Formats: sequence, C-alpha cells, structure tokens
Amino acid sequence: MIRINRRKLITTSAVLAIAALTVATVPAQALNPSMGSDPGITATSIKLGITSPLTGIASPGYNKIPGAMKAYFDYVNTNGGVYGRKITLVSKDDQYIPTTAVAKANELILRDKVFALVGTLGTASTKALTASTQLSQRGIPSLFVNTGFSGFADKKAYPTTFSILPSYQMEAKIMAKYVKETYAGKKLALIYQDDDFGRDALAGFKTAGLTFDTYIPYASGSQSLPATGAGWISKLKTAGAEVTVLFGVSSASTAALANAYGAGFKTQWVLGSVGGDATTIAATNKAYVPLLYGAKGFSFAPAPTDTTDEYIKLFQGIYAAAQPTQTFDNNVVAGMSNAFLAVQALKAAGANLTRAGLIKVIETKGSTFASPFLTPLGYSSTAHIGATGYWVGTYGPTGALTPDGGKYTVYTTDSGTGPVVESTFKRPAMPAKGL
Amino acid sequence: MNQFLDMVLIGISAASIYSLMAISMVLVWRSTRVVNFAQAGMALLSAYVGYELVARVGNFWIALPLAMLLGAAFSAFIEFVLMRTLQKHSSQGAIAAIAPIIATLGLLGLIRAVIGFIWGHADVQLEAPLSKVGFKFGETTIAVSPMSLFVLLFVIVLMIIVSLIFQKTNIGLALRASAYAPEIAQLAGIRVSGIRTLGWAIAGAAGAAAGILQTVNGTGSLSPESLEFSLLLVFGFIAAVIGGLESLPGAVLGALILGLVLAAVQIYISGALVFIVAFLLLLVVLIVRPQGFLGSKAGRRA
Amino acid sequence: MLKKHPLLTFIFFGFVLFLISNRLDELRVYQGATVAVYVIGIASIILLTGYSGQVSLGHGALLAIGGYAAALSRIHFNAPIWLTFVVAVLAAAVGGALLGLAAARLSGPYLAGTTLALAIGLPSIANQFPILGGEQGLFFDIGLPPASLGADFTQYKWFFWICWLVALIAIYWLRHVMNSRYGRSWRAVRSNDVAAELAGIHVGRNKVLAFTISAGLAGLAGALLAMTISLVSPGVFPLALSFSLATGAVLSGVTTLGGVMIGAVTLVAIPEIALAIANRFSGSETITTNLPGLLVSALLILTVLFVPNGPVEQLRAKRGKNEHSLKKK
Repeated sequence: MIRINRRKLITTSAVLAIAALTVATVPAQALNPSMGSDPGITATSIKLGITSPLTGIASPGYNKIPGAMKAYFDYVNTNGGVYGRKITLVSKDDQYIPTTAVAKANELILRDKVFALVGTLGTASTKALTASTQLSQRGIPSLFVNTGFSGFADKKAYPTTFSILPSYQMEAKIMAKYVKETYAGKKLALIYQDDDFGRDALAGFKTAGLTFDTYIPYASGSQSLPATGAGWISKLKTAGAEVTVLFGVSSASTAALANAYGAGFKTQWVLGSVGGDATTIAATNKAYVPLLYGAKGFSFAPAPTDTTDEYIKLFQGIYAAAQPTQTFDNNVVAGMSNAFLAVQALKAAGANLTRAGLIKVIETKGSTFASPFLTPLGYSSTAHIGATGYWVGTYGPTGALTPDGGKYTVYTTDSGTGPVVESTFKRPAMPAKGL
Repeated sequence: MNQFLDMVLIGISAASIYSLMAISMVLVWRSTRVVNFAQAGMALLSAYVGYELVARVGNFWIALPLAMLLGAAFSAFIEFVLMRTLQKHSSQGAIAAIAPIIATLGLLGLIRAVIGFIWGHADVQLEAPLSKVGFKFGETTIAVSPMSLFVLLFVIVLMIIVSLIFQKTNIGLALRASAYAPEIAQLAGIRVSGIRTLGWAIAGAAGAAAGILQTVNGTGSLSPESLEFSLLLVFGFIAAVIGGLESLPGAVLGALILGLVLAAVQIYISGALVFIVAFLLLLVVLIVRPQGFLGSKAGRRA
Repeated sequence: MLKKHPLLTFIFFGFVLFLISNRLDELRVYQGATVAVYVIGIASIILLTGYSGQVSLGHGALLAIGGYAAALSRIHFNAPIWLTFVVAVLAAAVGGALLGLAAARLSGPYLAGTTLALAIGLPSIANQFPILGGEQGLFFDIGLPPASLGADFTQYKWFFWICWLVALIAIYWLRHVMNSRYGRSWRAVRSNDVAAELAGIHVGRNKVLAFTISAGLAGLAGALLAMTISLVSPGVFPLALSFSLATGAVLSGVTTLGGVMIGAVTLVAIPEIALAIANRFSGSETITTNLPGLLVSALLILTVLFVPNGPVEQLRAKRGKNEHSLKKK
C-alpha cells in the first residue's frame, strides 16, 4: 500500500512540475497593445462594439437598435466609408444583466479588440462595464450610451463616455413645466419606478416646483405581477386622479394602461419617453397600442411617421432596404441616429484616427455636429451631454406620436436648477446624402 | 370601501392563477412525492403550444383542452423518461433528496432553451377569448372581468373534478397509495409506475391550463424569459405549501390567502415589498404550522 | 499527496496559478478570477447539501448579502479590501444563521422552495431602501493594484490574484473543517438524523452551523463577484446565479469537495464553447443565446441521472472496487 502511495506522490508532483515549467516557458503574451495605432483600426476598417439586451426582459423594442445601427453603417460603407475605412459593428447580447454586460464588454475589448464601444444600453450595465473594464484608464471611447442617467455626462467621473439622451432630470423638468401650464388646478398623480431612474425624475419635478396629489412608487420587477397594475388603478380611482404622469419602463406603462382599460378608468396619461415607447408596448401586445390614444408623450427626435423630415425619409429608405421585414419605429430612429452621430464624430476626427483624437473632437466640435435631433447637442470639454430637450406630442390610435400644434415646439433645459426655455434652435441641414 | 372591494377582487383574481399552479404541484407531490420545479417551464411550453394551436385552429375553446391534453402527454413522457431513470440510479445516498429537485431544475433550463430555439425571443401574442373589461354595475366598474371570472370558475371546477377523482375513485385511491407506500401498493397489485405517470399527466394538464390562462389573463404575451412564469413557480409553490402539500382544497385556499395578502400589501403599503412578504408568509406558515392550513400532521416528511 | 501534505499541495497549486497568471491573456485572466469565485460558491453548496443534506436553491441571496455588505463598508467606511471581505463573510453568516434557524425544521422540497422564494425576494429589497442603490446599484471599487507590482500589472490580474488567494485559503480551511468532527457529525446527520440524535449529536445545532458556514462562504463569493465587476445591484444576483451554483455543485459531485474545480471551470467554459459552436454556424444570435443554457441543462440532467455523486466520487468508487479485487488476488 505504501509503495503505491509513494508512487502516486512522485507521479503527481512530476506531472505538476512539468506542467508548470512548460507553461513558464511559453512566451508571455503581450499585455499591452503594440505601440502605434489603436486597436480596431486598420487602413481599411474600423471595428465598433455594442452590448445590449437582445433577449431577456428588457429586450422588446430595444433589440432592434443594433440592427438599425448596422443598416446605417452599411449605407455609409457602400458610399466609401469614413476616409476609406469600412465600419463593422460587433453586437453582443447582455440580457440586461450587469455581470453579463461586463463579460461581453471584455470580449469586445480584449478578444474582438474593438476601437470603441457605442450605444451601450442600461444604467447598471453601463456603470458596471465602464468600471470593471477600466474604459477610462484604457482610453476607450464609449460613445452615445443609451441611458438618461445624468452621471454619465460628468466628464470627471466618466472621461471617455458620452451621453446622447437627455437626462431624466431634464425630462422631468420639461414635463413639469408642461403639466403645470396645461393642467393647472387638476388633480395630479405620479407613478414612478422606485430607484435611481425614477428618483432622478423626482428631483427634476422638485426643481421645477411640481408636486403631485398622489405618489405611487413601484419596485422594478414587480410591475409584471397581476395585482400591481390593478393596485395602481385602484389607488388612482380612489384619489380621483385627472392627470396621471407615468415615469417608468414600458412594462409599467403596459400594466397601467391595460388595467385602466379593464377597470374602465379614465385619466389623462402623460408618459415619460422611456415608458411611452409605443413600439415596445406593441411588441408586448398589439392590442394595447390603441390604449395609448390621447396620451401625451415626449421625444427629441423627429417622429418616425413624419415623412416630411429629411432625416426620417433617409432613414426609412435605408432601413427598408436593409431590413424589409421589420417595422420602422422610434427604436430604429434611435439606433440610426446613434450610428449617424458616431459617423459624424469619426469623420471629424480625421484620417489619422486615434481614440484620444476621437474623444477630443467630440468635446471640441460635438455641439456643432449634424444630427437628426431637434435639440442642440451639449458636448463640451466640461460636459458630455447629448440632446438637451424635448417636444410634447399626443399619441394617435396607431401609437404614432405627433407634435401638439402640428409643429415641433422644443423645450430645453439642464440637469441642474436652470430654467426650462422654449428653444430657438434651428437644426442644421442634413449633409448631402446623409453621410 | 371601494378600494377594499377592489383589493379583494384583485386578490381573488390573482389567486385563481396561482391556485392552478399550486394544484399542479400538489398533484405531482401526492402521486410521486416529488416537487416538480420544472412545472413552470412545462406551463410555459404548454402556453406556446396553446399559441400555436390557436393560430392553427382559430378557436381558443378548442385549443385550450387540446393544449391540456398535450400538456398531460408531455408531462407523462417526462415522468417516464426522466423520473424513472432517476429513481433507478439515485435513490440511495445523499443525492436522493436533491436529485429530483436538481433534475427538474435542469429540465426547466432545457425547456427554456428549446423554447428560445423554436420560437425565438421576440414576444408572441396569445389573445384572450373573453373581454377583460370589468363588469359594470351602474356607474362603477368592478375589478372582475368576464375573463377573470372564467378563470375562477375553471379553477373551482377543476379542483372539484380532481378531488373527486382522488377521493371517490379507485384510481384516486391507487394514486394516493402509490405515493404513501409504494411497496405495499405494489403488493396490493397496483401498477405503481403506471399510476405515477398518470399522476404526472393530470398535473401536466392542470399546469398547461395555468400557463395559458395566466397568459391570456395577463398581458397576453409570451417570451422564454417571461418573469411571470418564474413568479408563477414561486407563488404556486408558496400557495401549495401554505395550504398543505397534501391537500387539493388546501392548494386553492393557500392561493387565496397568498393572493389576498399580496393584493393588500400592494394597495395599502407598497408594491416593492411583495416578494419579501411572500417569503415571510411562507416562512411563518412553515414554522407555525408546517403541514399547512389544511394538511394533516402525518406524512409531511420528504 | 493531498492527504499527506495538504498545505504543500495548496501552496504548490497557488504557485502554479501564479505562473499561469503571467502567461494568460487578459480575457482568460478575468475568466480565471470568475472561476475562483465559482469555486467558493460551489464549495458552499457542497458543504450545505452534500455534507449536511440541506438543499438551498437560493444561495444567490446570500451572495447578495455578502456583496452588498462589502460594497457598503467600502463606500461608507472606506474599509480596506481584506476588511470588506470579512464584513461580507460576517454579514452573510448572520443571514445564514437566521435562515438556518428557520430552516432547521424543514427538509427536502420545503427547504428548497423556501430558499427559492428568498432568492427572488431578497435582492428586491435593494429597490426599497435608497441606501442600497436600487436597480442601478452601487459601485464597489477596490482600487488599483499597488504600485509596487509595476505599471504593467493589470486590474484583472490583481482580481485574479485576490480571488485565487482567497479561494485557496477558503477551500483549505473548509477541507479542514469537513474532515474534522463537525464534518463527521454533518455526514452522520445527513445519513440518518434520528440515529445521529441518538448518538448524541445535536441535530438542530449542527444544521444551523452548516448553514452559517455555508452562508459565510457564499457571502465571500458574493463580495469577490462584486469586486470583479465593480458593482452590486439586484441584477448581479439573479435567480439564474442560484441555479448555476446548484448546477456547478452537482457537476462537481455534491458529496465531495474534491471535484469543485470541475464544476467551476465547466460553468465558465460552457458559454465559451457555445460561442465557438455558434461561430461555426455563422454566429446566429439564436444559437449564441440559447446554446449555453441548453448545454448546461443537458449536462446537469445527464450528470444527475448517470453520475449522481459526481465524477470524483465515481472514480473513487471504481478505484475502491479495483483495489479490493487486487487485494483479493
């Protein structure tokens, strides 16, 4: 018995020692990229990466964004690319789970070696991947993240990240002004998601001096329970709410609208831009879209049905050719706008493209970039803010949001205590062929 | 007063869905002494099958019983292939207690992945056959609609039928005997393995109904990651345990208690506390009255 | 070798890992750190289920307690790294003790279902109290690697070192505990708690102790997990995490600590394998998303059916039979 044990001991140690020595003699992998150009760029290509919820609870609607972005990039590629470089978009699915987002971001940065990230979706996921993959320290640009969390516009905290959406505080302040002016004297109620997202809005409402008669918070995740939406409607009925503002995600709007319909409860709905996404609601159940009829909504891009808008016409054409089976909606507009802005930035950075150069040019010239948005862009060397305002519209029976008064009246503000003003911004003409 | 009435009706409506899942779990427990965590997955699959059937047949009222039959068949198949092999290989040792649990968990993941493969991840619509607008009494609309009323009646009828089978028929007796004392039942001439499969089949039918009704009574949309189904699993389990895993009326009672408590919490306190309250309710019941409200003391041990 | 010189083996293994860390590319280093986290998490389940016979489907909740405790201690008290881990272990252990007290009377599916309810319920508390950061979560930043290690020393390598050092220490200690009289009494209770009670073992206390230690380990894993992604939020500890750990434990062999690496490596490797397969089929998104789940579930079912005690135990049993027949000759 003892002999067998000693033999095993020697064998095991020998095997381990040989393994260790073998591994030790393998030449070390370069931990840093080679000196010279940034990864993800060659003379003929630029590689961009995006991680977003393609499947999972947050995916309806949003999962169209990477496809829309790719459609625009392909259009640019067929027209010569950016200084002769064709853009490829590597798209990964993070299912809206922060740990997965980090793993996918790692794959994009370390394995696929993308030049920059673009369009990351979700506050928690963006926070996690920015910190964990050390985007700032590596100098990797994270362009136009798809979240309204105001923290990302803070250059000191996120030096390489750029927002594109107005912050939730901005939106709340503009909503507040609208509600105060249009529904003075009515009984107001607010349904909001009880976390940073919703509380950003609360801060905005407070700054703008709007108080509600009824506050209904809900925990994210609970809105899918059968009794939750019914509970809100019950509370609203008891309070006699005439105007109900909803600052939550689409599944919350769906629950609210469906239960209101079932209970025969009528109120004037005012929906935030995140939850007022008609196409996401339609993706849940087409039958709910007519419930939106008459509700008020906010947007900062031209309406997807507005064919008089030159950008919408262009995007519609491109998308119809690239994805003929998919409907053209606000998520598509969001994705293509994101891609458009990215291309503008890449162009402005010049033929000698570097990560640092790209970041610098957005800071210095970003506010003058052409964009489909109806508000000015706020990029500067002190803040990385994208769009800065909203227009108000009403949802029609098919879920299309059209501006009140027939024209886009845009209001702009900041994330702090600044006033809400009617904007005199005139959007610059689209560059030739939308390139 | 109005709010209270609303709350009660909302609670009952939610409870009727939970009870279907609870009944399904109790059925599996009573016939094979296993808690089938994959029940929610099988309910989800049945809901998708229901969707396909409605799309092909065009009529919900034909599709529902058909889906239940298919659910029964699938459930029986699972018992035949998975659970029996499990019994053969791992009925001894430490693994015996958790092997069925882990196996059904694996099954849940498998079903989800297969659903994702076949139907993709985009939401799929299953239309409700009845109106979901509440009944009107003069000026007020109450929180009960034709659809939710149907679900309630369905549950009551199902529970009565299944209880009758278990209590009054020979097959029911065989089902109960095979679960309590398989060796003795076998000596008495009962084909235990066949009976267990039957138990799973009935549970499968109930689970299929749960999945479909839950969907049409809710948002009407299906996806592989439907949060509703994970919640259905947990709440169905909690309802079953509160009522007593041994008792079918207990499953309905447990669901009722759970539904009312949760509705009260959501309306009077805050929606955020729903999950924790459910957990605490379960814990309290298990500590104070481990056999559930309608369960009997003997035979609770796993 | 393990039996005779356990300390030496662990140190040797640590040395091997140290060498490896210098040679792997960063993505593998990050994944290696994740493997270490899973090793601790799976070990906690092996202790609870394999040794003490109690099923938990909600260990994700205990990881969450540890993760949040570590993050909060760092944010509000600027605790040094090692202290955040201690806080995580203690907080989770307290949670585990409470859970264990409640669970001592439960068995089998009742316990499983209760822990399942906890796994869903607990993370949602973060949405109720603003100090817990809500859905967006809290930062957990342990800072950069010390300058003494050189400018080239990456953050992920630092995570790798920390995770593996902690994992090796934790497993070494756990192994010691499992071979002690506590381990023996747990196994006695698992086999037959009535007999154990008659033999003088206080069953209730034993079960609670197992739960407490298991929870402490889980909390440690939770803190390490939060460290690697620099964030704690409810989304970091979804139900899928609890299921993954249970799966990993079964794949490793739930009754013995020896195979814990197998489960951990498998859990991290499967998405990679799935990605490779999907790429061969021109990277269809459907396959990439569904294949990992499919593979893991299929593997789990096959393991439970045919290798229920895990590969290590199976090998030992076979070797036992061979040696036995060898002796007879």
